Amino acid sequence: MLVASVVILIVMLLGSVGALFAFSWAATHHQFENLEEAAESIFDADEPIGTPTDTYITHES
Amino acid sequence: MNPKIAPAADPEAVEKSRLQRLEIDRAARWPVGIFIGSSLVWLILGSVLAIAASIKLHDPAFLAENAWLTFGRVRPAHLNIVAYGWLSTAGIGIGLWILSRLCRAPIRDNRSLTLAAVLWNMGNAVGTWGILRGDSTAVEWLEYPTYAAPFLLVSFAFVMLESVGLIRRRPPGHIYISQWYIMAAFFWFPSLYFTAHGLLVLAPVQAPAQPPINWWFAHNALGLWFTPIGLGAAYYLIPKIIGRPIHSYYLSIIGFWSLAFFYAWNGMHHLIGGPFPAWLITASVVASVMMFIPVITVAINHHFTMVGHFKKTIYSPTLRFVVFGAMCYTLASFQGSTMAIRPLNSITHFTHYTIAHAHLGAYGFATMVFFGSIYYIMPRLLEREWPSRFLIRVHFWSCAVGFIGYFVFLSWGGVLQGLEMNKDTTPFLEIVANTMPYLKLRTVSGSLMTLGHLAFVTSFCWMVIRHRASSGEPTLFTNRVPDPDPIP
Amino acid sequence: MSKFRYIFIGFMLTFLSSWVGLVVLPVWGLGNFKQTPDPATGEMIPPLLSSLEKEGRAIYIANGCIYCHSQQVHPARVRTDIERGWGVRRTVARDYMNQEIAQMGTMRTGPDLSNIGVRNPSETWHFLHLYDPQITSKGSNMPPFAFLFDKKKKDPKNPAKDALTFPAGFGPGAGYEVTPTHEMRALVAYLQSLKLSSYEIPEAPAARIESLEK
Repeated sequence: MLVASVVILIVMLLGSVGALFAFSWAATHHQFENLEEAAESIFDADEPIGTPTDTYITHES
Repeated sequence: MNPKIAPAADPEAVEKSRLQRLEIDRAARWPVGIFIGSSLVWLILGSVLAIAASIKLHDPAFLAENAWLTFGRVRPAHLNIVAYGWLSTAGIGIGLWILSRLCRAPIRDNRSLTLAAVLWNMGNAVGTWGILRGDSTAVEWLEYPTYAAPFLLVSFAFVMLESVGLIRRRPPGHIYISQWYIMAAFFWFPSLYFTAHGLLVLAPVQAPAQPPINWWFAHNALGLWFTPIGLGAAYYLIPKIIGRPIHSYYLSIIGFWSLAFFYAWNGMHHLIGGPFPAWLITASVVASVMMFIPVITVAINHHFTMVGHFKKTIYSPTLRFVVFGAMCYTLASFQGSTMAIRPLNSITHFTHYTIAHAHLGAYGFATMVFFGSIYYIMPRLLEREWPSRFLIRVHFWSCAVGFIGYFVFLSWGGVLQGLEMNKDTTPFLEIVANTMPYLKLRTVSGSLMTLGHLAFVTSFCWMVIRHRASSGEPTLFTNRVPDPDPIP
Repeated sequence: MSKFRYIFIGFMLTFLSSWVGLVVLPVWGLGNFKQTPDPATGEMIPPLLSSLEKEGRAIYIANGCIYCHSQQVHPARVRTDIERGWGVRRTVARDYMNQEIAQMGTMRTGPDLSNIGVRNPSETWHFLHLYDPQITSKGSNMPPFAFLFDKKKKDPKNPAKDALTFPAGFGPGAGYEVTPTHEMRALVAYLQSLKLSSYEIPEAPAARIESLEK
């Protein structure tokens, strides 16, 4: 029981520290910039933003 | 919300990207098509077994003369078929296609993927036969006997190889969230299966340690295999169809990491109150409640992306199914988080309520999103239209109405069952008798869902076998005309 | 490729954390029980299963009994298991150490079976119940397991000694007799061996159980 608690504590501390480290790494290495570009990456010249890609051909409006 | 229309692109760039997309879809035709096509066989078989199992619960003598069809074999056969025959097979096909699209790279190795599909189907066939003949492992969600496992694992190795190949050939730049989800799913699933099958079936650990591993596996089959593929599909298809990028990419990243961490710890919530250390169960309860974080990010993202565009669900079957599915994802996860809280769990544990919840996730969310994905993918693979709007409507409404009935009736019956079980004065047989009307309503609802599946498979076969010239009732596919009112 | 590498490491690490918590730690903490002597009788408990009982467990597993029946007694303050007579105390991990394949279950379409060997020891009751649950439990939705019995024409001069006696309205019909197969006997032997919460074990000594019952 005690061993389990200690193991969990260590795992949680390591995990939290690791998560904080990863977050700060990501922030300083520009991972949170250009997010809009990432969201737009699914479009291309032939299926650009603003063009629905799945509809009945007879849909006029 | 960022109203944006891309500037008019130069015709050369347009043509280039159109040809690239065409090449990708054509390369995917056979490998993705065979995975999706074979998944539909399992969908029907799974539905038939589901109805049989459902009838047996209110008419226990139904088909009970033969050992092969006893409830205790039909029920796990149903579960494994819909999990590994329908959802997993379709998930592999859908995942590969989305990866191929987003990596801008055509699928290369047709031969190994065809072999993979054959092996995957053989694994399911052998596994199902094994369960019905009495070789079930009786480890929940892992009932296929050991002799089915090599087929599944070798097959999956080919799938993983191809997916890594696609990622490596992607152009420099962003990796879209759907690629994160699908690649993660493709690595998580074999890790789960390999560990669980090894420690529970091949060389079982001592019995008291088995249920945690069992439910770590089973819950993660839902949360780290079906869910990421479903979310990956929704994150790609919703913005792609309506022509607007996802509302907040930042939120989707938070959603991914919080799902990856919290979901994996949920497993023990299936064993609350059981003979396990309190810290283990509490860890899962906490993780289950923390799931609110990723689920809220997904809900916000999808909702705000869709806002102003809900009318498009009338015109796009894919959108209809995927939005229904995404809403069920939110509901199922919220419900799951509440079910992990001990006072509520003491009512719902061991009851039909749990089954209804499982179907909200595996059917309401995963199955409906996969239906939508298939409606989008197949016309692009085959360069044909879906043959009949009527069949699509039958499919959607039968499944949606049928499933809502299934969920409401079975949940209600389960809550009553749980409340009565907690009153020690209620005789057990009386509890059973009181669940009967709900179990019968479940059979009716499930039959309606099956009708929808039959309509879908009919549609699919018709499209594959007969090239229907577009006349009268064209359905989907290309829309060369930019949306006249693109901004909400 | 490099950015994907970080994402990959990230999601495999989160996975690994759950693996440590829900696989490694349980195996470590719950996977190494050894039998202990029963303070009352001196025998090693929980007892190992006999080979017939193990055969019966295989039948239980093959026919999916787990999908309706659980084998875990919950504490008195949370559920009514103990009041319903399903056990005298909650089951703990040690109780399952000799089960080889844990059948704890997660559904109670039917009652919990942890101590069915204590509360329902009658072999005849089990034979009748398994042949056709409606005989002993009218309205039950448990399926009949007649396929685990032999049905043959009755020889009036030489009736089978272990043929079942049915109440009016049940049974194979006039001129036939039903006897349990070896598999059925094994299954019932296994059920009779289920006395999971019936031992005094280090984690749940009798004195503590008595004080809880007050």
